[in-house]
Amino acid sequence: MVLDNLERERNFAQRLEFTRFYARWVRAVPNEVWSKQQAMLIDSLIENAKNLMLSAEEYLKLKRR
Amino acid sequence: MNLEFEGNEIRMKNKILTRLDKFIFNFIRILEALDIDYVIVGGYVSILFGRSRGTEDIDILVSFITNDKFKNLYEKIMEENYYFLNSDNPATLYEMLNEGLAVRIAEIDTVIPNIELKFVKNEFDKFSLRNRLRVVINGEVMYISPIEVQIAYKLYLGNDKDIEDAVYLWEIFRDYIDREKLSEFMKKMNVDGEAYGIG
Repeated sequence: MVLDNLERERNFAQRLEFTRFYARWVRAVPNEVWSKQQAMLIDSLIENAKNLMLSAEEYLKLKRR
Repeated sequence: MNLEFEGNEIRMKNKILTRLDKFIFNFIRILEALDIDYVIVGGYVSILFGRSRGTEDIDILVSFITNDKFKNLYEKIMEENYYFLNSDNPATLYEMLNEGLAVRIAEIDTVIPNIELKFVKNEFDKFSLRNRLRVVINGEVMYISPIEVQIAYKLYLGNDKDIEDAVYLWEIFRDYIDREKLSEFMKKMNVDGEAYGIG
């Protein structure tokens, strides 16, 4: 269990480091560059969400959990 | 990232809009048409400024509106091909809002993305609405919560994703943030950003 927590902390520290790295990259490039990459990711996530076969009721039930 | 700051306004040009951005712009035009003051809070604020992640829901706080005005909003939302996920009864939805609950709105035949709409409730909500930032993106306007409140609130929520959002906003806005204001909000929310290099 202790090892699991250590592993989790290490993963989180790495993700935070990546977040800082990514923010520095976003700051360094023009808006067209970062936003093009972001649009590809977000648009594909929304496209995939269309395949979600959940009714509004089922979705709300999941969110309440 | 090229941002221009002037008073309470941030201008961002040449952003390639995501489908999420367009979804939000379309929705807030409905609020504006009915003169309903709003402020966008939560994860979308960091996404707007480039954070590379998706979100299912966009949190929007609105000022208190009367039952009659809510009925107008309900009708306009339905006319524009959205629907409420929680109920199709405007009285039930208005009651939920008055109880401090959120109602969810999506485009017809979808559940994601959805708008999570709430009335302003606490001191931080009210501050965010009163001091909202005007963001002009390629000439279109949306209003978001002050960045200092967002960072403090994300630290307060404390999940990994929220802390990453706080760190991201800090890194993007570190040269523009009002550090005294940030410190004041962190104190009020009883959070400390030092462990994450914030503040």
